[in-house]
Amino acid sequence: MARRVINKKRHLGLQQLSAFADTGRTFLGPVKSSKFIIDEESHESVVVGSTVRLLESLDLSSAVGQLLSEAVQAQHNTYRTGASTLLLLVGAWSSAVEECLHLGVPMSLIVSGMSEGLDSCIEEVTSLQVPVHDVFAHIDSTEVFSELESLNVSLCPFLQIPSNTGLILKKHDLKDVASQSLTTYSLSGIPVKSAKLFRPQATVDADKNTSQTPQTLRNSLLAGGRCRQSVLTHSRHCNREASDQWTSKHGAAAPQTDSCSDLGELAAGLSHGDHSSMRLVEGAVRLQHQNTSVCQGSWTMPFTFDISRVFTCCLPGLPETFSCVCPGYVTVVSMFSATVLEDLQNQPLGVVLIEGDLTENYRHLGFNKSANVQTVLESMKKLQQDSSEELWTSHVLQVLVKFNVNLVLVQGTVSEHLTAKCVHTKRLVIGSVNGSVMQAFAEASGAVQVSYITQVSENSVGRGVSVTFWRSSPLDVGDGISRMAILLKTEGINLVTVVLTDPVTAQMQTKEDRFWTCAYRLHCALKEHKVFLGGGAVEFLCLSHLQILMEQPLNKGDQICSGGLHNTSSWLASSLALYRPTVLKCLADGWHKYLSTVVCNTANYSSEFEARTFIQHHLQNATDSGSPSSYILNEYSKLNSGVFNSGISNKPEQIPRVYDIVTPKIEAWRRALDLVLLVLQTDSEIITGSGHTQIKSQESEGFLFL
Amino acid sequence: MSRLEAKKPSLCKSEPLTSERVRATLLVLKGIVASCYGPSGRLKQLHNGLGGSVCTTSQSSALLANLSVTHPILKILTTSVQNHVSCFSDCGLFTAILCCNLIENVQRLDLTPTTLIKLNKHLLNLCTSYLQSEVCGCRIPVDFSSTQILLCLVRSVLTSKPACMLTRKEVDHISTLILRAFLLTIPENAGDHISLGSSIIVPLKGQRVVDSTVLPGILIELSEIRLMKILPVKKSDSLKVALFRVSLSGDLSDTGEGSVVVSYGVSLENAVLDQLLNLGRQLVSDHVDLVLCQKVIHPSLKQFLGVHRVLAIDRVGAALMEPLSKVTATVCSLLLCNRNGTAWDELKLTCQTALHVLQLTIKEPCVLLGGGCTETHLAAYIRHKTFSDPESILKGSGCTSTELQLITEAFCTALESLTGSLEHDGGEILTDMKYGHFWSVQADSPSDVNWPDLLTRCGCGLHNSREELSWSFLRTARHPFAPRPCLPHEAVGSANNLTLDCFTAKLSGLQVAVETANLILDLSYVIEDKN
Repeated sequence: MARRVINKKRHLGLQQLSAFADTGRTFLGPVKSSKFIIDEESHESVVVGSTVRLLESLDLSSAVGQLLSEAVQAQHNTYRTGASTLLLLVGAWSSAVEECLHLGVPMSLIVSGMSEGLDSCIEEVTSLQVPVHDVFAHIDSTEVFSELESLNVSLCPFLQIPSNTGLILKKHDLKDVASQSLTTYSLSGIPVKSAKLFRPQATVDADKNTSQTPQTLRNSLLAGGRCRQSVLTHSRHCNREASDQWTSKHGAAAPQTDSCSDLGELAAGLSHGDHSSMRLVEGAVRLQHQNTSVCQGSWTMPFTFDISRVFTCCLPGLPETFSCVCPGYVTVVSMFSATVLEDLQNQPLGVVLIEGDLTENYRHLGFNKSANVQTVLESMKKLQQDSSEELWTSHVLQVLVKFNVNLVLVQGTVSEHLTAKCVHTKRLVIGSVNGSVMQAFAEASGAVQVSYITQVSENSVGRGVSVTFWRSSPLDVGDGISRMAILLKTEGINLVTVVLTDPVTAQMQTKEDRFWTCAYRLHCALKEHKVFLGGGAVEFLCLSHLQILMEQPLNKGDQICSGGLHNTSSWLASSLALYRPTVLKCLADGWHKYLSTVVCNTANYSSEFEARTFIQHHLQNATDSGSPSSYILNEYSKLNSGVFNSGISNKPEQIPRVYDIVTPKIEAWRRALDLVLLVLQTDSEIITGSGHTQIKSQESEGFLFL
Repeated sequence: MSRLEAKKPSLCKSEPLTSERVRATLLVLKGIVASCYGPSGRLKQLHNGLGGSVCTTSQSSALLANLSVTHPILKILTTSVQNHVSCFSDCGLFTAILCCNLIENVQRLDLTPTTLIKLNKHLLNLCTSYLQSEVCGCRIPVDFSSTQILLCLVRSVLTSKPACMLTRKEVDHISTLILRAFLLTIPENAGDHISLGSSIIVPLKGQRVVDSTVLPGILIELSEIRLMKILPVKKSDSLKVALFRVSLSGDLSDTGEGSVVVSYGVSLENAVLDQLLNLGRQLVSDHVDLVLCQKVIHPSLKQFLGVHRVLAIDRVGAALMEPLSKVTATVCSLLLCNRNGTAWDELKLTCQTALHVLQLTIKEPCVLLGGGCTETHLAAYIRHKTFSDPESILKGSGCTSTELQLITEAFCTALESLTGSLEHDGGEILTDMKYGHFWSVQADSPSDVNWPDLLTRCGCGLHNSREELSWSFLRTARHPFAPRPCLPHEAVGSANNLTLDCFTAKLSGLQVAVETANLILDLSYVIEDKN
């Protein structure tokens, strides 16, 4: 066993943390840059577009690296968002804490002071929460996809390609470029009081849909799954209301956060620059909402967005515009299996759902096969009989025939022999079906999931599933084998498939990740019924709040006086006042770094220095104003009433507000600080077992052996 | 043909403690445990150096379980501490540090081991009889009609483990939960013989600490959503339950060696399944409502039971079987959340310790003052006792009073420098000359300072600096004084924010530390078999 002292002169753990964290800097904010990761040994490379994917590809086997990866994974698995925030703050806070140590602040005071400061900030930022109310009450029938339309879309969206698809595509491409140049332009117009701080995403496609006729608008909406255009018309109306309110409230002493009650506005505000993904998410929510209201018939239950019933199907190789939202289940099958579709189309099918594999040798989990059982033949005449697989296959077919089943969905793998036999008898077997898809079909068709084909009875067969081609021409999913995309659905199925397409196969993963990020963001906002004012407003408030705390004297006897110290009787409690400003400044550095990184990444400022100056300027104004939260709300109201935007557009109300989700953000802060403080308080690394024999003699300096 | 190899001779080392290497490793071990001690203790990252999981901890149980010590002397020490921790959960670091301190201090004295050991035992007896006596000045009786003292005790356990990463609010929340969980395990209709129930800690990693909660009863996770539809259907208040420890998955029981030969066309699997379905029919006819199985239930049997409206839950796991089998007793589930895995592991261990400490306290309804005050108080008491009445201790021991003074000094310094291990940020320790409590102060404070201005409260929080006390640095010599006891009503009156220690665990820790030190001091030879 060996022990290594971590903080001899400089804290090794903190240094490692900030080194790791620096790699993810470019993933923060609405404008992200992808990274290539190349394995020097195998010469394989991957494109990564998010913190989680980045950390997956890095070697984090060191103790600190593992803790970091554990923290990021925990954040990601719980909320699916906030990983980049976490990583950046880990980096910023570990360098800031190191600086504190360097200045001689006792470690325990750093720990208690930073926790206390963060708690205080978290309390403070509740003033920037925006309630989310009745977003679904505003959805009227004209805006929702009608059943017929959506069917048309999903069945054959590319048979009736709108004449101006090319145009849309070009516009789309232009838009991505333009979104950056446009924002830069908007800022260069107002160099000091930039809207950027609060809304890094700025205006994107403000004038995009104005020239389109309603017909093409609908087409593009359907083909691209972009329901946002239609939403915009709606949200414009809503926004005008909001801005009217602002104008009337403008003179009031303490502005308040307005509530958000429009799905389109909410989604746009949470898209953080990724409009194409968010449009698909919004489409999925609308489909689900429509579906639920059709099923329930009345409004007895408030609608909740069930993200487990949203499913993605990635089709690399197709143009981006083919991405869309479909009710039901879209999947890819082999050309061979697809031949049965000609016969199965346009008729209700009986379905069987198999959890586990559909092979002869499959046994349910927890079943141990005896190894020592031998079967003997008693007489020679049976020798000529079919093999056991043949027997099993015919048994399966018998069951399917008996219960008039033409479709089998299997969660695991399927025997190839059986698939072939089924095709011959005009039956479709689909393997590797996601669990929640199975569940959705079970609910909608009345089928009961079973483990073995022998369990199938009349009660466990579902009815009324329809199958059709999603697209009439075959596609190559990147491996050179042609397949067909098909769509399965049934009346009232609570399942939405989002088809994601991308001409570049390498980008597919990033695209899917980005879709889910948006989906979970909207899901969280709808679940929590609240959002933060976004675009850095929250971080900015933390920054200015800490600035005020730093200048405030500590009043003895106050609760805050204990400064987060568990042990108030220690001498540390009395020297708290001396070190508190240093520690709080250290905490503030985290958000300073966060904001300047966001501003830098969005290419508004060429250097971090410029960005910092810009933030500092606002910070000064905010603290001078006496109430930073009012200052921020006022700046927001100016945005909405168009004060900042006269140079961009004469329709200022088209610019939606930017929102952030609440709990995942706060938890990302907490996790980041926890990790930094955990590493800070660690003074040695103990290598257990035989691991220490790996330590070479020349490395052994600094190690103590037991 | 067998080959005989000459056996290697055993290796015999005399006076193992005098070896430089042993002293160095003891010092490293002491460094590890002492740096972990207390609410501001430093954490250790334990890992295997090969990319295995990382454990960040400052708890003796986690540390010692992972330390692979080689020298027999260190093994004696770590094993003693581990034994103590397995019985009492708390005070492991206390025991280890005190033991190291005693060995270190006593070794410097030029006395025979026999004398050392004899006098150490005398001093230990003095300590234990004082702590157990009614006049003990560092002990508070526990009033079970109020939660104050118990909450303080739990809070002290929680705050002493910084790797749990709890904020003040979270500490309050978890303390309340632990106390509630503990109260749920006390049977309502207790006869003469009380048997406490158990609390099951259910992990919910990745969630917020404040989302943790306590539920009476046993929480079982259901993997299948469809069961949720059946659940609300309750026939009566109480369900008839069948509990299976064996697997109902339908596989053949172990047939032993050799092979089983069956005729073509005979399916053993089907035969077993038929038996299972027979069992199912029996369960249905016996009107069982709920079938619980530790292992797997065959899907066909589950389907059969489902058709007959019997709720079947499998893969319950071994951990829940014991409480399930006596579900009529008092059981509760503590759903414990923490943000990351390593902090969760630490929090779980700490909660278990806290629950155990409460159980020990119900048996012996008193607590000791924490935060170092018991140790400094005890040291003051011993010093005073051996100074004022050495004869009664030396009677019949054959030792001189000089020897007694030397050992007393070593023993008391060991206790006092133990409290010094609570300080990790360079502060210094004072003690007051009235109660003998522990006070911490910033390093390099001027000597002419007005102490009441600089100090706030003593370590346990019972006394504040405005009580007209006089102080002295712990490291300097003082004239022995009889430490005054605090009055119980005083203690309860200001008991809102006390740091407290478990009486039973600390008493045992003290005994284990002294006895282990004696054992190690008594070692003359280490004989190693080199074969």
